[in-house]
Amino acid sequence: MSYIEVDRVSKSFGERVVVNQLSLHIERSERLVLFGPSGCGKTTLLRLLAGLEIPDQGSIQIDGRLVANVGENFVPPEKRDLGMVFQDLALWPHMTVQENLTFGLNARRVRKHEAKARVREMLYRVGLEHRMDAKPHQLSGGEQQRVALARALVPRPSILLMDEPLSSLDDERKRAIASDLLSLQSQLAFTLIYVTHDRAETDLLASRVCQMRDGSVA
Amino acid sequence: MGRAVRAETIVLWLCLAVVAIAGLAPIAVMVFESVWHDGHFSLNHYRELISAARFWPLFGNSVRLALATTTVCGLIGVPAGILFAKSDLPLRSGLMWLLTVPFVLPPYFIALGWSRVVARVGATTAEWLFGFGGCVLVLSSVFLPIIMLLTFASVSNVDGRLEEAGRLAFGWPAVLRRITLPLSAPGIAFSLVLVFLLAIGELSVPSFLRYPVLPVLSFTQFAASYNFGAATAAAVPLAALALLGVLIESALLQNRVFTFRSIGRGLLISLGRWNPIAAAIFGLLTVALVIFPLSALFADAFSLTTLHDAMQRAGASIVRSVIYSAIAATILMALGFLLAQLTRDRGQRLVNFLTLALFAIPGTVLSIGLVRLWNSPMTWFIYTTPALLILGYTAQYCAVTTRLSLAGFFLIPKTFDEAARLSGASWTQRLFRIFVPLSNRTLVCAWLAAYILCLRDVPIALMTASPGGDPLPARILTLMANGAPPMIASLCLIMAIASLIPLVILARVIPSRGITG
Repeated sequence: MSYIEVDRVSKSFGERVVVNQLSLHIERSERLVLFGPSGCGKTTLLRLLAGLEIPDQGSIQIDGRLVANVGENFVPPEKRDLGMVFQDLALWPHMTVQENLTFGLNARRVRKHEAKARVREMLYRVGLEHRMDAKPHQLSGGEQQRVALARALVPRPSILLMDEPLSSLDDERKRAIASDLLSLQSQLAFTLIYVTHDRAETDLLASRVCQMRDGSVA
Repeated sequence: MGRAVRAETIVLWLCLAVVAIAGLAPIAVMVFESVWHDGHFSLNHYRELISAARFWPLFGNSVRLALATTTVCGLIGVPAGILFAKSDLPLRSGLMWLLTVPFVLPPYFIALGWSRVVARVGATTAEWLFGFGGCVLVLSSVFLPIIMLLTFASVSNVDGRLEEAGRLAFGWPAVLRRITLPLSAPGIAFSLVLVFLLAIGELSVPSFLRYPVLPVLSFTQFAASYNFGAATAAAVPLAALALLGVLIESALLQNRVFTFRSIGRGLLISLGRWNPIAAAIFGLLTVALVIFPLSALFADAFSLTTLHDAMQRAGASIVRSVIYSAIAATILMALGFLLAQLTRDRGQRLVNFLTLALFAIPGTVLSIGLVRLWNSPMTWFIYTTPALLILGYTAQYCAVTTRLSLAGFFLIPKTFDEAARLSGASWTQRLFRIFVPLSNRTLVCAWLAAYILCLRDVPIALMTASPGGDPLPARILTLMANGAPPMIASLCLIMAIASLIPLVILARVIPSRGITG
C-alpha cells in the first residue's frame, strides 16, 4: 500500500468538472511534481489532499488512514499533518517572521521554549535567522518564499504541498530556493508534492513527474 | 470535523438566535396578532383598515412622498457620487462629508432647522414647508447621502483597468456611459430602493411637518389609542413593502458585496471649464441642504444659559443616548463580525436577506412587534429596561455591521485562513489571531457606523424606551411640544456634537485610498 492513495477522486465547481476520476499513488519521501497547463486541476488536487476541498466522488488515504471519502472530509486540514506553501505565500502581514512560524506551534500546543528553539533552527536552515523580527512586507520576494517554506515546515509535517510558489521569481532565485528545498527534503525526509506548469521547476525538483490534463493524470 | 467545527456551529446558531429574538420573533408575533382575534383567525383589522376612508389617501401619500424623495435624491445623489469618485472637482472630499451630515442626525433636525427659517421669514412659506413639499425637501437632504455614498462606492469598485481600456478608444463621457455606469448600475439601483424604503417608513419628519402618512397612523394607533391590532394592521403594508424591496435588492445585487478598495483610479472625469460651475452648484447645494437649515437651527443654541438649561432638562437623556448607543454598537459590531465570518462561504444569502429585511422594515413596525412580544409579566425584565431598546437597535441595524464586516473579509485573502488551518489552528484561534487583527479598521468602521445609526434613531427610541428612560432624540421630540426654542436648539447642538464626533473619526479612519464597506 502506498503512503498516499488517491482513488477515483472527482471534484466539480458548478457544471465544471475540475478533477475527473483521478487515481494516484505516492510513496513516502517521494518528490512528486504535478505538471500541466493552467486549469488542468493540479491546484484542486493539491487542495483535496490538504482537506481544503471535499471530493464529490472517490476517496483519499494518507498513511493507511482514510481522510476523505465521497462528499465528506473525515480528517480536517489541521489534523492531516501536512504543510502547504501557497502560490501567494499567504504570510500573515500583521505578524513578524518569528510570529508567523510560531503560530502553528502554538496551535499544536508545543511548549514555549521548544517552539522558540524550533523556530530559530528552521530560520537558520533557510538562512533567515537575522530577519526574525521583520514583517513580511519588509522582506524581499526570495526571503518571503523562504519564510513561507519555513512556516510550512516548522511543525515538522510528514507531507509538504507546494502550489507554484516559485512562479513569480527569476531563474537565479528559483534555482537557489529549489536547492534549499532539496536539501531540506533530504534532511527532514518529508513527502513533497509540488504543483507547477514550468518545465524548468520540474527538472529541478522532481523524483517523479505526473502529467495532468483535463482533470486526470495523462 | 471535531471540536472546532462544533464551536463554529454553536456560535453561528447563537448569532442567528440573537437576530431571531431581536427582529424576526417580534415581526412574526405582530403579523400573527393582526390576524388572530379573540382566539380565532380574523382579518377584521385589515378589513377595517382598508375600508376606512383615510387608509388609501394615507397609503397614497406615503408612496408619493417616497417616490418624490427617491427621485430628488437620485437626481442629485447619482451625479454627486460619480463626480466625487471620478472627477477633478475641487474640495470634493469635504463636500461629500458635509452632505453626509444630515444623515447622521435625527431626521427631524433638518425639519426643525427649516421651521426656524420659516419662523423668521414669515407665514407664507410656512404653508409650503408644512406639507408635501417640505417633507420632500427635508427627506431628500437626509437620504441624499445614501445614494451619493453608494454611487461613490459602486463607481469606485469598477476595475480601473476596464475604464482605462475604454479610454484608449473613447472620451470620458462615452466610457462613463458605456462602461462605468452599466457596471455600477446594480449598486445605484439598490441605493434608490433603499431610499424609497427608508422614506416610506419615516415617522418623525412627516409627523413634525404635519403630512399624513401611514407610519404616523400606525404610531398614533399604537401610542395614543393603544389599539395594537389597528396599529399592526397599519404597519403590515409597510412591512410587506420592505420585504418587496429586499427581494428587488436580492435580484439586483445578487448579494454583491461592496469593497471600497483602491484598484487604480481608472476613469478621470476632467471637468475643464465646467469645473468652477460644478463646484459652485455643489457648494450651493451643500449650503442649501445642510448649512442653511442647521445654521438656523443652531443659531440660538450657543448661549451658556440655554446650554445649562438644556443640560438640566435632558442631561440624563444625553448620557443614556451615548451609553445605549455604545452598548448596541458593541453588540452590533460583534454580531455583524461573527455572522459575516461564519457565513463567508455558506449561508451568506440567507443572512443578507434576513438582516436587510430587518433594516428595511420601518422602525415603527419593528417597535410595535417588540412591545407586543415582550410586554408580559414574565418578560418585564426586558420590557421595562433598556434591553428592549437595545434589542430594537440590534435588529434594525445588524445588516449594516454584517455587510461592512463581509466587505472587510473579502479584502483578506482566503489563503490566510487556509494557511492558519493547515498550521493546526482552531476556529477561535483563527478568529482572534488572524481575522480580528486584520479587520481592526473594519471593526472600528462598523462600530462607529452602528453607533451613529443608533444615536440618531427616532422611532425605536420613541416607542421602546422605558418610562423615564428615553434617549435624547425621543426627549427632544417630547420637549419640542412645550420647550423654549433656544433650549431645543441647544439640545440639538449637543446631539449633533455627539453624532458628528464619530463621523469625524470615521472620516479619518477611512483612508482616502481605500475603505471597506
